[in-house]
Amino acid sequence: MSMTETAALPPRPFIRSRALRRFLGHKLAMLGLAMVLVLTAACFIGPHLLPYDELYIDLRARFAPPGTGTHIFGTDPLGRDLAARLFHAGQVSMAIGFAVMVIATCIGAVVGVVSGYYGGRVAAVMMRVVDAFLSFPSVFLMLVLAAFIKPGPVMIALIISATSWMEVARIVEAEVKSLRDRDFVQAARMLGLSGRWIMFRELLPNAIGPIIVAATLTVARAILLEAYISFLGYGIQPPLPSWGNMLNGAQQYLQSAPWLALVPGIAITMAVTGFNFIGDGLRDAFDSRTDLK
Amino acid sequence: MTDTKTSEPGFNPGRRSALMMMGAAGATSLVLPSMFGRDAAFAANAKADGKLVLAFSQEPTNFNPFMPHIEVDEGMYYALYDTLFDFDPAGNFFPVLAAEVPTVANGGISADGLSWKIKLKEGVKWHDGKPLTAEDVKFSLELPLDPNLRVMRTTGYKLLKDITVTSPTELTWTMTKPFAPMSAVLASTWIIPKHAFEGVADKNTAPFNNAPIGTGPFKWKERMAGDHIELEANADYHMDGPFFKTLIVKYIPDLNVMYTQFKSGDVDVVGLQWITPDHYAEAKDLPGKTVEIAGTGTFESFGLNMMRPQFQDLAVRQALYAAIDKTSIIDALYYGIPRPTETYMPQQSAYYNDALPKHEFNIAKANKLLDDAGWKKGTDGIREKDGVKLSFTNSTTAGNHLREQVQQFLQQSFKDIGVEMKISNLPPAVMWGEYWMKSQFDTVIVGLNVLMGADPDTSDYFMSTASPARGGAGQNNFCYQSAEVDALLKKGGETFVPEDRKAIYRKIQEVIRNDLPFLPMFQYAVCKGRKTSVTGPTPNVNNRIDSWNIRDWKI
Amino acid sequence: MLRYVLGRFWQSLVLLLIVSFIGFTVLSLAPGGPLSQFALSPGMTQEQLDKIATQMGLNRPLPVQYFDWLSHLVTGDWGRSYRDGQPVLTIIGQHLFATLILMGTSTVLAVSLGTTIGIVSALRRRSVFDYTMTVFAMIALSIPTFWFGLVAIYFFSLKLGWFPAGNMFTVGDGSLLDYVRHLVLPAMVLALVDVAVWSRYMRTATLNVVNQDFIRTARAKGLSRTRILFRHIVGNALVPMVTLAGLQLPALLGGALVTETVFTWPGMGRLFLDSLGYSDYPVVMGLLMTSAILVLIGNLAADLIVAAIDPRIRLE
Repeated sequence: MSMTETAALPPRPFIRSRALRRFLGHKLAMLGLAMVLVLTAACFIGPHLLPYDELYIDLRARFAPPGTGTHIFGTDPLGRDLAARLFHAGQVSMAIGFAVMVIATCIGAVVGVVSGYYGGRVAAVMMRVVDAFLSFPSVFLMLVLAAFIKPGPVMIALIISATSWMEVARIVEAEVKSLRDRDFVQAARMLGLSGRWIMFRELLPNAIGPIIVAATLTVARAILLEAYISFLGYGIQPPLPSWGNMLNGAQQYLQSAPWLALVPGIAITMAVTGFNFIGDGLRDAFDSRTDLK
Repeated sequence: MTDTKTSEPGFNPGRRSALMMMGAAGATSLVLPSMFGRDAAFAANAKADGKLVLAFSQEPTNFNPFMPHIEVDEGMYYALYDTLFDFDPAGNFFPVLAAEVPTVANGGISADGLSWKIKLKEGVKWHDGKPLTAEDVKFSLELPLDPNLRVMRTTGYKLLKDITVTSPTELTWTMTKPFAPMSAVLASTWIIPKHAFEGVADKNTAPFNNAPIGTGPFKWKERMAGDHIELEANADYHMDGPFFKTLIVKYIPDLNVMYTQFKSGDVDVVGLQWITPDHYAEAKDLPGKTVEIAGTGTFESFGLNMMRPQFQDLAVRQALYAAIDKTSIIDALYYGIPRPTETYMPQQSAYYNDALPKHEFNIAKANKLLDDAGWKKGTDGIREKDGVKLSFTNSTTAGNHLREQVQQFLQQSFKDIGVEMKISNLPPAVMWGEYWMKSQFDTVIVGLNVLMGADPDTSDYFMSTASPARGGAGQNNFCYQSAEVDALLKKGGETFVPEDRKAIYRKIQEVIRNDLPFLPMFQYAVCKGRKTSVTGPTPNVNNRIDSWNIRDWKI
Repeated sequence: MLRYVLGRFWQSLVLLLIVSFIGFTVLSLAPGGPLSQFALSPGMTQEQLDKIATQMGLNRPLPVQYFDWLSHLVTGDWGRSYRDGQPVLTIIGQHLFATLILMGTSTVLAVSLGTTIGIVSALRRRSVFDYTMTVFAMIALSIPTFWFGLVAIYFFSLKLGWFPAGNMFTVGDGSLLDYVRHLVLPAMVLALVDVAVWSRYMRTATLNVVNQDFIRTARAKGLSRTRILFRHIVGNALVPMVTLAGLQLPALLGGALVTETVFTWPGMGRLFLDSLGYSDYPVVMGLLMTSAILVLIGNLAADLIVAAIDPRIRLE
């Protein structure tokens, strides 16, 4: 999902305030932040404002188009309120997105910092594993896993994490490799600090910029991937709604009830766009060369 | 979506109605000779350029009829191969490769049902020009017992001995015991050529399996895997027909796309998995198309695992049944197409018990049943008794949207009576594997066809000794145990007077209806569609796929 | 050079081994199996299923099955499908064409459109066009491919009736026009994300080139704008794009899987889903290996081409 490839960034621990200022001045990032905040608010507050339960089935009200009575987004084939389902689904999908971000970033950061710091054989082996994971389409791998592991939100988050940590690992590895011979690391070594201390207290904090960027983009990616596997029927199982499984089956009603496909799709696109905008803004903010461009 | 369901309606080689009820003499003395009076026409009736596109939503991939296959594969067998004889829609036999259908009356079957004689039509040729002989029939009948071949079934075949070819068109055999459904087995035994397997080391991978040679109305032309199969008229066919030159069997995994292509005219006949119920209202008014509802032998039920503590109490099963709003499910979710049922027996069958108690949807009654039986609601609103919670999972094939809707609807109804149902759907390969066969589920929603041929015997499904989970052999995966049903099934298997048998099997349905090891929902009906200009496709509840009489289709 | 290629080759083999091991383990540990599709047949008993499983060798210990599969693979025998008994390679071959057509068309579309947008954006940096395209690319990257497919079907097929809603061709038609009509929507959908990716990368690459000295030199020498643009800027900016093409392969294959599902396109993606549904493990494994091999070859080819056209890069 990375957009503009920039060369490995030098450490800039002291200019974070400048980075923040740049970020706040980034129009798209602000727009993205607004989109994400609005969506999050809708998903967490919305259900309390709606007169419907997301699971309540009313067969008499099935296939109501958007705007029927108080069904602002209409109803689904079981007569459940689509808005209520959409907001609850948003909680599930975004929770998965964040869970994946945390898990994948942690795995990626650890793998990256260890192989970057030690180099040599360790790095070779670890990076080959990264390559192996990268070398087949993640959708293939995920489907194979999801087809056989009992799908629940936690499992789905783990499965998506298993196919999302490699990017972070690569970024961190490159970053750490460029940092490990710097003076402050040498100084730490001379002080006799342990490898673990150096890796996690000295090197990692200095690579935090790119990690944050990658983490943000991971959220976007995870929301998309959840949608993919749930759409194909291997993800979150009904009646628990997720944006992806709301789309599963919507193809069948494309002709007669297109809103079933349109509404969740727009929500997914908004959320993912929002996170991508933020990620792009962060990247520019952490990149000192932005000012030069 | 890609519909990779397993073939839900089980293997059903044909259900005749009353005609298969055996006479006192044993096997099939009542079987009538052909009522069609058809014979070899040897006419090249095929329209020189005629083409028909038949669409299936599953892909036919197994072309050796003796190897494991699913329903859709049989759609190809009817075009490529012939059986000795087959069932018409009324349940009567008509001869195909046999010169006449063997009966006790015509001497084809001995009075004790043990000696059989088959006479073949003269002059039938394989697609490669070689003549069909009794050796081929013998080869086909012995193939299921080949220890090295992966075979689908041995039922019936394993009772045959001393298969003897007495002339190029005649053969005889004896049976180790009288076996009434043998005719039904033969009606789904497609004869394949012996010469195609000569010199083949491993029959499982014989070239024949992917380039079949038959005697049927159409010859193999080519297969584009994942898309379609093209067949060409057999000009030397030994019966009337075929009546067009090219038959395309198109695989369209998405039922919406299939319907769209039917609407646009790209598909002439909509086959297996047919038109989805939600399109029926629109489809029946399409100009130039004929769309009809046809009953099938499969019944849909909410199956219980009778080994689970939750389902030991009859009151629980009755309460669950009373909480099922069948009318809403059928009318709203299934658009009124299937018919409600109280039993596993198809309503077309002579053995169908029409006097079973009628289901009544009544939440208050369900609650009362549970209250009276001492199931008290806990703090979480879920009833429990003696440490057993009325909570269970329900599983079915993931991706079957209508079923998933039914599940969620039931989940809500059950919640109203203090019962918690969790949904845990599985991909077909997992669902119908050991999970189903070894009764690892709590409850399932399943469409089953429990009859083997027209015979009403269901020992395989309801005999106490037929549960693999209890160490038995069979398909009693609900793990139902009833001494009364066991005794009745045994008696039914030994009774030969039709009226007596009828009483027995009606009684079995009654006992099972009262015990409720599964909660019967409806008998399936499907929505078949074809271009009005196409004539010939006829629903036949005795054969499980649309193309059973493709030799008669005209465009 | 040769040493480099050989080294990469060995690395790739190790990668393939890891991929095959992961895939095989996950598949084999899964419950269910290829025989469950027959379980609902009357008269089909667990014993019969067990017998068939034994005949097919499914009851052997996992390591035995794995090494059996692997040793056959090495000799070019990828096994046979459990569904139709055909050799796996034959089956994949039959589906490869459809996928390659789809991927090829969408890549051509994406590269031509994407690079053009990227160059224009870079040359007119901070123009309305640049901003619009940036936003467009971000949104395109955020749209779920399958959903875009559904929307495309809804508008262009169901509402407007311009293009068919699925399949690769009308049975019995087979004219080129018919193929093209069926190809338009899925190729467009699959290309969307790629256009975005390519335009972004091309924009960055062009910017990097524009700021370099030799361009200034060329300008100073008074070379014509078009000449500078095409000879110097575009030519140099395209070099990293070749690497990108290699890196994009897995994403493209994944996208093709989803697109093929939505448009019932008879390619490898749909074969994968069908085979997964039926637990047709030899085919699933074959597809995993094929996609991994395609990706590795893609990456290697990209590196070699870059080395060939860019004298600054030396393979070691």
